[in-house]
Amino acid sequence: MNKTSSIKELYPPGDFTIWIVIYVELITFGLMFVGYAFSRRADIALFNNSQLLLNQTAGFIDTLILITSSYFIVKAVNSVKNARGEMIQSANILASKWLLAAILFGVIFLVNKLLEFSAIFSQGIGLSTNTFFMFYLLLTMFHFMHVALGTVVLLNIRQRTKRDGYSADDSRGIETGGVYWHLVDLLWIVLFVLVYIIR
Amino acid sequence: MKKSLEGVWAVLIIFTIFAYLLGELKLVNTLLVDILLITTFIKGQLVIDYFMGLKNVQLRYSIIPTLWLSIVIFSIALAYYLPITIK
Repeated sequence: MNKTSSIKELYPPGDFTIWIVIYVELITFGLMFVGYAFSRRADIALFNNSQLLLNQTAGFIDTLILITSSYFIVKAVNSVKNARGEMIQSANILASKWLLAAILFGVIFLVNKLLEFSAIFSQGIGLSTNTFFMFYLLLTMFHFMHVALGTVVLLNIRQRTKRDGYSADDSRGIETGGVYWHLVDLLWIVLFVLVYIIR
Repeated sequence: MKKSLEGVWAVLIIFTIFAYLLGELKLVNTLLVDILLITTFIKGQLVIDYFMGLKNVQLRYSIIPTLWLSIVIFSIALAYYLPITIK
């Protein structure tokens, strides 16, 4: 094993500002998760019955999509992180392919979610239906906006890979977009189990 | 032990399938809520360590998402297990 691999990095990957954004997002979603869990105690039957109206399979597919797209992002970042000299062009081409796969998965997630929202709304359910659906819609729609923003960020990063824009000396941009996407993944992992599964 | 990225991805997928099956087969009970929350914690920590890349970053930065995850999962567990007083 390489001795240097055990030395801790001074700073987290990506731009430091993104970590401030991430901490704020974690607090915001964290409060909503805990708010959901404690609100449930006031009317467990209502929450359990309302949860039955959700499409668990759609939530499951969404989770698989986000986890896999996160994996694609790590592959894209790793492609360019060690690229120097003549390797830069081929590394950016490879990163571009991984990013395209992640973007496609992001789009599939968004389409799947829109179909799910459409099915919910067609049953006459809205924010004011009950406390469960208020939380469900707030959490999933807020998360949806984050995925949409993340997809746009990834599209921009991919454009730069087409200009051989990333290398071992300059990979901060792709790392920044990457950690944002992983945040979206992390939030969904908790959301899926909390809202769709446990009862 | 060094984990491969593919290994991490596989664990995340397996835990997700496990959670889905429990939900789909309506097997979620009090004991299984524990197990689901523990597997969710493990999944979250894997994302933090290996996808976000905080495994090899100084503790003062890597501890924040881990603390967040611990507090959120613990609070959810508390909400599920605290006895409910009927007025």
